[in-house]
Amino acid sequence: MASSTSLPRVGSDNRLLDALGMVPGVLLLAGIGYAAKILERSVNAYAKAQHWTFPNIEYVLWAILIGLVLSNTLTIPKVFQSGIATYEFWLKLGIVLLGARFVLADVLKLGGISLALVVVEITLSLALMTLLGRLFKLKPKLTSLLAIGSAVCGVSAIIAAKGAIDADDEDSSFAIAAILALGALSLFTFPAIAHSLHMNDVSYGLWAGLGVDNTAEATAAGALYSDAAGKVAVLAKTARNAMIGFVVLAYAIYWAGRGQAERVTNKAAFLWKKFPKFILGFLVMSVLVGFHWFSKGQVTSLGNLSKWAFLLTFAGVGLRTNFREMSQQGLRPFIVGALGEILIACLTLGLVVGANRIWGL
Amino acid sequence: MSTTEKSAPSGNSNSLSLDWWAVIVALLLALAVRFDVLKNVPW
Repeated sequence: MASSTSLPRVGSDNRLLDALGMVPGVLLLAGIGYAAKILERSVNAYAKAQHWTFPNIEYVLWAILIGLVLSNTLTIPKVFQSGIATYEFWLKLGIVLLGARFVLADVLKLGGISLALVVVEITLSLALMTLLGRLFKLKPKLTSLLAIGSAVCGVSAIIAAKGAIDADDEDSSFAIAAILALGALSLFTFPAIAHSLHMNDVSYGLWAGLGVDNTAEATAAGALYSDAAGKVAVLAKTARNAMIGFVVLAYAIYWAGRGQAERVTNKAAFLWKKFPKFILGFLVMSVLVGFHWFSKGQVTSLGNLSKWAFLLTFAGVGLRTNFREMSQQGLRPFIVGALGEILIACLTLGLVVGANRIWGL
Repeated sequence: MSTTEKSAPSGNSNSLSLDWWAVIVALLLALAVRFDVLKNVPW
Protein backbone atom coordinates (compact mmCIF):
# COMPACT_ATOMS: atom_id res chain seq x y z
CA MET A 1 0.00 0.00 0.00
CA ALA A 2 2.72 2.35 1.04
CA SER A 3 4.73 1.68 -2.04
CA SER A 4 1.72 2.04 -4.33
CA THR A 5 0.92 5.48 -2.92
CA SER A 6 4.49 6.71 -2.87
CA LEU A 7 5.45 5.59 -6.40
CA PRO A 8 3.03 7.86 -8.27
CA ARG A 9 4.21 10.79 -6.14
CA VAL A 10 7.79 10.11 -7.16
CA GLY A 11 6.59 9.96 -10.78
CA SER A 12 4.74 13.24 -10.56
CA ASP A 13 7.70 14.90 -8.79
CA ASN A 14 9.87 13.75 -11.69
CA ARG A 15 7.39 15.12 -14.19
CA LEU A 16 7.34 18.45 -12.34
CA LEU A 17 11.15 18.52 -12.34
CA ASP A 18 11.19 17.64 -16.04
CA ALA A 19 8.75 20.46 -16.75
CA LEU A 20 10.80 22.92 -14.69
CA GLY A 21 13.95 21.75 -16.48
CA MET A 22 12.41 22.89 -19.78
CA VAL A 23 11.91 26.48 -18.60
CA PRO A 24 15.44 27.83 -19.42
CA GLY A 25 15.36 26.39 -22.95
CA VAL A 26 11.82 27.63 -23.61
CA LEU A 27 12.85 31.09 -22.36
CA LEU A 28 15.84 30.95 -24.74
CA LEU A 29 13.51 30.09 -27.66
CA ALA A 30 11.16 32.92 -26.68
CA GLY A 31 14.07 35.34 -26.24
CA ILE A 32 15.49 34.53 -29.69
CA GLY A 33 12.03 34.76 -31.23
CA TYR A 34 11.33 38.13 -29.64
CA ALA A 35 14.78 39.43 -30.63
CA ALA A 36 13.98 38.35 -34.20
CA LYS A 37 10.77 40.35 -34.17
CA ILE A 38 12.58 43.43 -32.82
CA LEU A 39 15.38 43.03 -35.41
CA GLU A 40 12.86 42.75 -38.25
CA ARG A 41 11.17 45.99 -37.21
CA SER A 42 14.27 48.00 -36.31
CA VAL A 43 16.52 46.93 -39.22
CA ASN A 44 13.78 47.66 -41.75
CA ALA A 45 12.98 51.03 -40.10
CA TYR A 46 16.68 51.97 -40.01
CA ALA A 47 17.19 51.00 -43.67
CA LYS A 48 14.14 53.06 -44.63
CA ALA A 49 15.33 56.07 -42.62
CA GLN A 50 18.76 55.88 -44.30
CA HIS A 51 17.11 55.47 -47.76
CA TRP A 52 18.95 52.18 -48.25
CA THR A 53 17.78 49.57 -50.71
CA PHE A 54 17.73 46.67 -48.28
CA PRO A 55 15.82 43.40 -48.60
CA ASN A 56 12.98 43.00 -46.12
CA ILE A 57 14.36 40.31 -43.79
CA GLU A 58 11.45 38.76 -41.94
CA TYR A 59 11.42 37.60 -38.32
CA VAL A 60 11.41 33.98 -39.55
CA LEU A 61 14.87 34.35 -41.07
CA TRP A 62 16.21 36.39 -38.15
CA ALA A 63 15.04 33.72 -35.66
CA ILE A 64 16.67 30.93 -37.67
CA LEU A 65 19.89 32.93 -38.20
CA ILE A 66 20.27 33.85 -34.52
CA GLY A 67 19.74 30.21 -33.58
CA LEU A 68 22.21 29.02 -36.22
CA VAL A 69 24.88 31.48 -35.11
CA LEU A 70 24.46 30.53 -31.44
CA SER A 71 24.50 26.77 -32.00
CA ASN A 72 27.46 26.87 -34.41
CA THR A 73 29.69 29.30 -32.51
CA LEU A 74 28.96 28.49 -28.86
CA THR A 75 28.39 25.32 -26.91
CA ILE A 76 24.79 25.57 -25.74
CA PRO A 77 24.79 24.63 -22.01
CA LYS A 78 22.98 21.42 -21.10
CA VAL A 79 20.47 23.30 -18.96
CA PHE A 80 18.86 24.65 -22.16
CA GLN A 81 18.69 21.37 -24.11
CA SER A 82 15.38 19.91 -22.90
CA GLY A 83 13.62 23.26 -23.39
CA ILE A 84 15.04 23.66 -26.90
CA ALA A 85 13.68 20.19 -27.73
CA THR A 86 10.15 21.52 -27.09
CA TYR A 87 10.29 23.30 -30.47
CA GLU A 88 8.43 20.29 -31.88
CA PHE A 89 5.60 20.82 -29.42
CA TRP A 90 5.36 24.51 -30.44
CA LEU A 91 5.32 23.45 -34.08
CA LYS A 92 2.38 21.11 -33.54
CA LEU A 93 0.57 23.63 -31.35
CA GLY A 94 1.07 26.26 -34.07
CA ILE A 95 -0.30 23.93 -36.75
CA VAL A 96 -3.43 23.06 -34.72
CA LEU A 97 -4.09 26.75 -34.05
CA LEU A 98 -3.44 27.57 -37.71
CA GLY A 99 -6.51 25.44 -38.49
CA ALA A 100 -8.54 28.47 -37.32
CA ARG A 101 -7.24 30.46 -40.26
CA PHE A 102 -8.56 28.00 -42.83
CA VAL A 103 -12.13 27.80 -43.99
CA LEU A 104 -13.07 24.12 -44.25
CA ALA A 105 -13.79 24.50 -47.97
CA ASP A 106 -10.21 25.70 -48.52
CA VAL A 107 -8.89 22.78 -46.49
CA LEU A 108 -10.91 20.37 -48.62
CA LYS A 109 -9.94 22.01 -51.93
CA LEU A 110 -6.25 22.66 -51.24
CA GLY A 111 -5.97 19.56 -49.05
CA GLY A 112 -7.49 17.46 -51.87
CA ILE A 113 -5.07 18.89 -54.44
CA SER A 114 -2.21 18.43 -51.94
CA LEU A 115 -3.20 14.81 -51.28
CA ALA A 116 -3.30 14.01 -54.99
CA LEU A 117 0.14 15.57 -55.45
CA VAL A 118 1.42 13.91 -52.27
CA VAL A 119 0.57 10.44 -53.59
CA VAL A 120 2.54 11.14 -56.79
CA GLU A 121 5.40 12.77 -54.84
CA ILE A 122 5.69 9.87 -52.40
CA THR A 123 5.71 7.26 -55.17
CA LEU A 124 8.37 9.13 -57.17
CA SER A 125 10.50 9.93 -54.10
CA LEU A 126 10.50 6.35 -52.81
CA ALA A 127 11.46 4.99 -56.24
CA LEU A 128 14.16 7.62 -56.75
CA MET A 129 15.80 7.29 -53.34
CA THR A 130 15.76 3.48 -53.56
CA LEU A 131 17.45 3.68 -56.95
CA LEU A 132 20.09 6.15 -55.71
CA GLY A 133 20.72 4.08 -52.58
CA ARG A 134 21.38 1.01 -54.76
CA LEU A 135 23.60 2.97 -57.16
CA PHE A 136 25.72 4.29 -54.27
CA LYS A 137 25.68 0.88 -52.53
CA LEU A 138 24.23 2.17 -49.28
CA LYS A 139 23.03 -0.39 -46.74
CA PRO A 140 19.46 -1.46 -47.72
CA LYS A 141 17.89 -0.34 -44.43
CA LEU A 142 19.68 3.02 -44.56
CA THR A 143 18.29 3.40 -48.09
CA SER A 144 14.80 2.58 -46.76
CA LEU A 145 15.15 5.20 -44.02
CA LEU A 146 16.39 7.87 -46.44
CA ALA A 147 13.55 7.02 -48.84
CA ILE A 148 10.92 7.25 -46.08
CA GLY A 149 12.45 10.48 -44.70
CA SER A 150 12.51 12.22 -48.06
CA ALA A 151 9.15 10.89 -49.25
CA VAL A 152 7.05 11.59 -46.17
CA CYS A 153 7.95 13.76 -43.26
CA GLY A 154 11.59 13.85 -42.41
CA VAL A 155 12.79 13.06 -38.94
CA SER A 156 9.50 11.83 -37.45
CA ALA A 157 9.02 9.40 -40.35
CA ILE A 158 12.55 8.06 -39.88
CA ILE A 159 11.97 7.61 -36.13
CA ALA A 160 8.61 5.91 -36.79
CA ALA A 161 10.18 3.61 -39.39
CA LYS A 162 13.28 2.78 -37.36
CA GLY A 163 11.41 0.57 -34.92
CA ALA A 164 9.08 -0.89 -37.50
CA ILE A 165 11.84 -2.11 -39.85
CA ASP A 166 14.35 -2.87 -37.06
CA ALA A 167 17.03 -0.51 -38.40
CA ASP A 168 20.34 0.27 -36.64
CA ASP A 169 20.74 3.39 -34.51
CA GLU A 170 23.69 4.34 -36.71
CA ASP A 171 21.60 4.12 -39.91
CA SER A 172 18.83 6.24 -38.47
CA SER A 173 21.22 8.92 -37.21
CA PHE A 174 22.86 9.02 -40.70
CA ALA A 175 19.45 9.43 -42.32
CA ILE A 176 18.30 12.05 -39.78
CA ALA A 177 21.51 14.07 -40.20
CA ALA A 178 21.19 14.04 -43.99
CA ILE A 179 17.53 15.09 -43.88
CA LEU A 180 18.24 17.87 -41.35
CA ALA A 181 21.23 19.26 -43.29
CA LEU A 182 19.25 19.29 -46.52
CA GLY A 183 16.27 20.87 -44.74
CA ALA A 184 18.54 23.69 -43.54
CA LEU A 185 19.78 24.26 -47.09
CA SER A 186 16.24 24.30 -48.48
CA LEU A 187 15.38 27.22 -46.18
CA PHE A 188 17.64 29.40 -48.28
CA THR A 189 17.32 27.81 -51.73
CA PHE A 190 13.53 27.32 -52.02
CA PRO A 191 12.50 30.99 -51.49
CA ALA A 192 15.34 32.20 -53.76
CA ILE A 193 14.31 29.88 -56.61
CA ALA A 194 10.62 30.76 -56.16
CA HIS A 195 11.38 34.50 -56.28
CA SER A 196 13.37 34.06 -59.48
CA LEU A 197 10.42 32.12 -61.00
CA HIS A 198 7.88 34.71 -59.73
CA MET A 199 5.76 31.95 -58.18
CA ASN A 200 2.46 32.90 -56.57
CA ASP A 201 1.88 32.23 -52.85
CA VAL A 202 -0.29 29.13 -53.30
CA SER A 203 2.02 27.47 -55.82
CA TYR A 204 5.09 28.19 -53.73
CA GLY A 205 3.39 27.05 -50.51
CA LEU A 206 2.44 23.76 -52.19
CA TRP A 207 5.99 23.33 -53.47
CA ALA A 208 7.53 23.99 -50.04
CA GLY A 209 5.05 21.58 -48.41
CA LEU A 210 5.81 18.86 -50.95
CA GLY A 211 9.53 19.41 -51.45
CA VAL A 212 10.90 20.22 -47.98
CA ASP A 213 11.08 17.13 -45.80
CA ASN A 214 10.91 18.14 -42.18
CA THR A 215 7.70 19.81 -40.99
CA ALA A 216 9.48 22.62 -39.10
CA GLU A 217 11.67 23.48 -42.12
CA ALA A 218 8.70 23.25 -44.53
CA THR A 219 6.74 25.65 -42.29
CA ALA A 220 9.70 28.03 -42.09
CA ALA A 221 10.44 27.82 -45.84
CA GLY A 222 6.80 28.71 -46.54
CA ALA A 223 6.71 31.57 -44.03
CA LEU A 224 9.98 32.96 -45.43
CA TYR A 225 8.16 33.61 -48.73
CA SER A 226 4.94 35.11 -47.35
CA ASP A 227 2.31 34.59 -44.68
CA ALA A 228 -0.12 33.13 -47.24
CA ALA A 229 2.55 30.79 -48.64
CA GLY A 230 3.34 29.66 -45.09
CA LYS A 231 -0.31 28.67 -44.53
CA VAL A 232 -0.42 26.62 -47.75
CA ALA A 233 2.95 25.00 -47.00
CA VAL A 234 1.63 23.81 -43.62
CA LEU A 235 -1.52 22.40 -45.24
CA ALA A 236 0.42 20.55 -47.96
CA LYS A 237 2.95 19.25 -45.43
CA THR A 238 0.11 18.12 -43.14
CA ALA A 239 -1.44 16.16 -46.01
CA ARG A 240 1.97 14.55 -46.57
CA ASN A 241 2.34 13.76 -42.85
CA ALA A 242 -1.04 12.01 -42.91
CA MET A 243 0.47 9.35 -45.20
CA ILE A 244 3.24 8.37 -42.75
CA GLY A 245 1.41 5.28 -41.45
CA PHE A 246 0.81 3.81 -44.91
CA VAL A 247 4.43 4.24 -46.06
CA VAL A 248 5.94 2.89 -42.82
CA LEU A 249 3.49 -0.03 -42.87
CA ALA A 250 4.48 -0.89 -46.45
CA TYR A 251 8.17 -0.93 -45.48
CA ALA A 252 7.46 -2.92 -42.30
CA ILE A 253 5.64 -5.57 -44.39
CA TYR A 254 8.47 -5.60 -46.96
CA TRP A 255 11.20 -6.13 -44.34
CA ALA A 256 9.09 -8.64 -42.39
CA GLY A 257 8.65 -10.58 -45.66
CA ARG A 258 12.44 -10.81 -45.90
CA GLY A 259 12.63 -11.99 -42.30
CA GLN A 260 14.48 -8.87 -41.16
CA ALA A 261 11.72 -7.21 -39.11
CA GLU A 262 8.84 -8.41 -37.01
CA ARG A 263 5.43 -9.09 -38.57
CA VAL A 264 2.70 -6.47 -38.11
CA THR A 265 -0.34 -8.39 -36.87
CA ASN A 266 -2.93 -5.61 -36.49
CA LYS A 267 -2.57 -3.23 -39.44
CA ALA A 268 -5.41 -0.89 -38.40
CA ALA A 269 -3.87 -0.41 -34.94
CA PHE A 270 -0.47 0.13 -36.55
CA LEU A 271 -1.88 2.84 -38.86
CA TRP A 272 -3.66 4.58 -35.98
CA LYS A 273 -0.49 4.50 -33.85
CA LYS A 274 1.56 6.13 -36.61
CA PHE A 275 -1.10 8.69 -37.59
CA PRO A 276 -0.07 12.22 -36.49
CA LYS A 277 -2.94 13.12 -34.17
CA PHE A 278 -2.36 16.87 -34.30
CA ILE A 279 -3.91 16.76 -37.81
CA LEU A 280 -7.24 15.95 -36.10
CA GLY A 281 -6.85 19.08 -33.95
CA PHE A 282 -6.14 21.15 -37.09
CA LEU A 283 -9.35 19.83 -38.71
CA VAL A 284 -11.42 20.43 -35.53
CA MET A 285 -10.25 24.07 -35.46
CA SER A 286 -11.16 24.53 -39.10
CA VAL A 287 -14.62 23.00 -38.53
CA LEU A 288 -15.23 25.26 -35.50
CA VAL A 289 -14.38 28.34 -37.60
CA GLY A 290 -16.63 26.99 -40.37
CA PHE A 291 -19.53 26.90 -37.89
CA HIS A 292 -18.78 30.55 -36.92
CA TRP A 293 -17.94 29.55 -33.36
CA PHE A 294 -15.38 32.37 -33.23
CA SER A 295 -15.81 36.05 -34.08
CA LYS A 296 -13.51 37.66 -36.66
CA GLY A 297 -11.39 39.21 -33.89
CA GLN A 298 -11.10 35.85 -32.12
CA VAL A 299 -9.92 34.16 -35.33
CA THR A 300 -7.24 36.87 -35.59
CA SER A 301 -6.23 36.17 -31.97
CA LEU A 302 -5.95 32.43 -32.69
CA GLY A 303 -3.90 33.17 -35.81
CA ASN A 304 -1.57 35.36 -33.74
CA LEU A 305 -1.20 32.64 -31.09
CA SER A 306 -0.24 30.28 -33.91
CA LYS A 307 2.40 32.78 -35.09
CA TRP A 308 3.87 33.00 -31.56
CA ALA A 309 4.08 29.21 -31.40
CA PHE A 310 5.82 29.13 -34.80
CA LEU A 311 8.23 31.84 -33.67
CA LEU A 312 9.53 29.52 -30.95
CA THR A 313 9.71 26.71 -33.52
CA PHE A 314 11.85 28.77 -35.91
CA ALA A 315 14.26 29.67 -33.09
CA GLY A 316 14.49 25.93 -32.32
CA VAL A 317 15.18 25.06 -35.99
CA GLY A 318 18.24 27.31 -35.91
CA LEU A 319 19.41 26.14 -32.50
CA ARG A 320 19.32 22.42 -33.26
CA THR A 321 21.15 22.79 -36.61
CA ASN A 322 24.81 22.12 -35.92
CA PHE A 323 26.82 21.83 -39.12
CA ARG A 324 29.89 20.45 -37.31
CA GLU A 325 27.93 17.50 -35.90
CA MET A 326 26.27 16.87 -39.26
CA SER A 327 29.60 16.82 -41.11
CA GLN A 328 30.78 14.01 -38.80
CA GLN A 329 27.98 11.72 -40.00
CA GLY A 330 29.64 10.67 -43.25
CA LEU A 331 29.50 11.86 -46.82
CA ARG A 332 27.85 9.08 -48.82
CA PRO A 333 24.37 9.19 -47.21
CA PHE A 334 24.53 12.97 -47.51
CA ILE A 335 25.38 12.80 -51.24
CA VAL A 336 22.55 10.32 -51.87
CA GLY A 337 20.19 12.52 -49.85
CA ALA A 338 21.34 15.69 -51.62
CA LEU A 339 21.04 14.19 -55.10
CA GLY A 340 17.64 12.75 -54.25
CA GLU A 341 16.43 16.01 -52.74
CA ILE A 342 17.52 18.06 -55.75
CA LEU A 343 15.68 15.68 -58.08
CA ILE A 344 12.62 15.58 -55.80
CA ALA A 345 12.61 19.40 -55.62
CA CYS A 346 12.62 19.54 -59.45
CA LEU A 347 9.91 16.87 -59.70
CA THR A 348 7.66 18.55 -57.13
CA LEU A 349 8.20 21.91 -58.83
CA GLY A 350 7.03 20.30 -62.07
CA LEU A 351 4.02 18.79 -60.27
CA VAL A 352 3.03 22.16 -58.80
CA VAL A 353 3.44 23.97 -62.14
CA GLY A 354 1.29 21.25 -63.73
CA ALA A 355 -1.35 21.55 -60.98
CA ASN A 356 -1.33 25.32 -61.44
CA ARG A 357 -2.13 24.85 -65.12
CA ILE A 358 -4.91 22.33 -64.41
CA TRP A 359 -6.57 23.84 -61.35
CA GLY A 360 -5.41 27.47 -61.60
CA LEU A 361 -3.99 27.72 -58.08
CA MET B 1 7.05 -9.92 -32.07
CA SER B 2 9.51 -8.17 -29.93
CA THR B 3 10.93 -5.61 -32.36
CA THR B 4 7.71 -4.11 -33.61
CA GLU B 5 6.07 -4.24 -30.25
CA LYS B 6 9.12 -3.05 -28.38
CA SER B 7 10.55 -0.30 -30.50
CA ALA B 8 7.64 1.07 -32.52
CA PRO B 9 5.39 1.94 -29.59
CA SER B 10 8.23 3.37 -27.51
CA GLY B 11 9.21 5.82 -30.25
CA ASN B 12 5.60 6.34 -30.97
CA SER B 13 4.23 6.86 -27.49
CA ASN B 14 6.37 9.99 -27.17
CA SER B 15 5.12 11.50 -30.39
CA LEU B 16 1.60 10.34 -29.55
CA SER B 17 1.56 12.16 -26.27
CA LEU B 18 3.23 15.21 -27.81
CA ASP B 19 0.55 15.30 -30.53
CA TRP B 20 -2.26 14.97 -28.04
CA TRP B 21 -0.70 17.60 -25.76
CA ALA B 22 -0.55 20.02 -28.69
CA VAL B 23 -4.22 19.35 -29.46
CA ILE B 24 -5.28 19.73 -25.81
CA VAL B 25 -3.32 22.97 -25.27
CA ALA B 26 -4.61 24.39 -28.58
CA LEU B 27 -8.22 23.59 -27.66
CA LEU B 28 -7.76 25.16 -24.20
CA LEU B 29 -6.34 28.28 -25.84
CA ALA B 30 -9.25 28.28 -28.29
CA LEU B 31 -11.71 28.08 -25.38
CA ALA B 32 -9.89 30.91 -23.60
CA VAL B 33 -10.14 33.04 -26.74
CA ARG B 34 -13.78 32.06 -27.36
CA PHE B 35 -14.86 33.04 -23.85
CA ASP B 36 -12.76 36.23 -23.81
CA VAL B 37 -10.27 35.07 -21.18
CA LEU B 38 -7.66 35.90 -23.84
CA LYS B 39 -8.63 39.00 -25.77
CA ASN B 40 -6.99 40.70 -28.77
CA VAL B 41 -3.78 38.67 -28.76
CA PRO B 42 -1.19 41.01 -30.30
CA TRP B 43 1.40 40.18 -32.90
